[in-house]
Amino acid sequence: MKKGTIVLIVIAVVILLLGSSVVSRYNQLVELEETVDARWAQVENQLQRRADLIPNLVNTVRGYASHEEQVFADVADARSRLLGATTPEAQMEANQGLDSALGRLLAISEAYPELKADTSFIRLQDELAGTENRIATERMRFNESVQTWNTTIRRFPMNMVASILGRETRAFFEAAPGALEVPQVQF
Amino acid sequence: MRSSRRILRSSIILVLILLLTSSVIAAFPARQGFVNDFANVLDQRSKAEMQLLGEKLWSEQGIGLAVVTVSTTSPLDPKEYTTALFNEWGVGGPDDSGLIMVLAVAEGAIEVEPGYGLEGVLPDGLVGAVIDQEGMPHFKNQAYGEGLAAMAVAYANILAGEEFEIVEEQEGGSGWFLSFAIFVLIIILMRRQRRYPPGGSGGVGGGGGSGRTVIIPRMPRGGGFGSGGFGGGGSRPSGGFGGGRSGGGGAGRRF
Repeated sequence: MKKGTIVLIVIAVVILLLGSSVVSRYNQLVELEETVDARWAQVENQLQRRADLIPNLVNTVRGYASHEEQVFADVADARSRLLGATTPEAQMEANQGLDSALGRLLAISEAYPELKADTSFIRLQDELAGTENRIATERMRFNESVQTWNTTIRRFPMNMVASILGRETRAFFEAAPGALEVPQVQF
Repeated sequence: MRSSRRILRSSIILVLILLLTSSVIAAFPARQGFVNDFANVLDQRSKAEMQLLGEKLWSEQGIGLAVVTVSTTSPLDPKEYTTALFNEWGVGGPDDSGLIMVLAVAEGAIEVEPGYGLEGVLPDGLVGAVIDQEGMPHFKNQAYGEGLAAMAVAYANILAGEEFEIVEEQEGGSGWFLSFAIFVLIIILMRRQRRYPPGGSGGVGGGGGSGRTVIIPRMPRGGGFGSGGFGGGGSRPSGGFGGGRSGGGGAGRRF
């Protein structure tokens, strides 16, 4: 066999190996990105579900405490901001706004024993609590996928593939700041 | 100043996420069957009743029931514990047809969580109503077994008529290798058409091929949700645990 042939074969094999390695890395990126997007879609589903529950909840509370107009307006406001938000960052922020407005709405029930005992109110509260737990679960899964994504595209040599393709790190969906603050203990 | 605080905060959050996920993986007891009385608070009669009900639900409807008592869920709160345990054990079939009831004695907590597949029939409001009507009166008297059994019966009644698959369809995993083999074949054929006679070159082509097969196992396979570490055993449906998943719904009470 001629020397030139062997050189050609070696070059071809090297190119093949390099090429397939790039292809497999690219595919891995695509798959990871799909996972992150799919997880975010799950988060969005639950945010939507929560927004859908709110009108019923407000109506039930209104039946017992019609004069708490300010709270109802705040909740409606926060809800429409969540529904109007388009980017993940805006949705995360709007969701926090809804958290605090809903907290005030549910606090009303403490002052109205009849409302607290109303079965449809109890059911709605269960639905709301369940949805909030679902948001927490999906948020955790989303954050895990973001973490995998971020670590993967920062590592060598994936960082080169990622920067050629213009892929960037994603932001975590952080829990409301208050939820993570450690209480100060005075001695 | 502000940006450094932000970085600090983000890194704290990251560490918390890491801690949370690692502790979730570490801390769970091995499942014993439909009834898992880790806290030792259930009476024999209720246990037997729930065991029978679990077998019936699984064999006739493909619904996985898991009844769990623990002395405490610390360091997780009862709800987090329930969701994580559900997914760790894979309660229910591949259609996520599982239902878990976790009673934590120290916390005085009952948490009930349906898998994704049961959420439609068992909305959270209904889950909570059953706890209020069937469970709470018993739990207040520390009659944990009777309360759980009464709840299990109520949920079974609501779920009557629902049926789920318990065997997962086998995924065809050979597609990749087939297309790869065709690819190699094409290369060999193309090389044959060149001027050089096919002497030792077939061997070299084979060598290139085996070099590529090393790369294939590195590619992540499986559906979109495979990589999270959640989603139990997959295709081996042993009594009530067939890889069902849950998204954290359901309802809970403190007694």
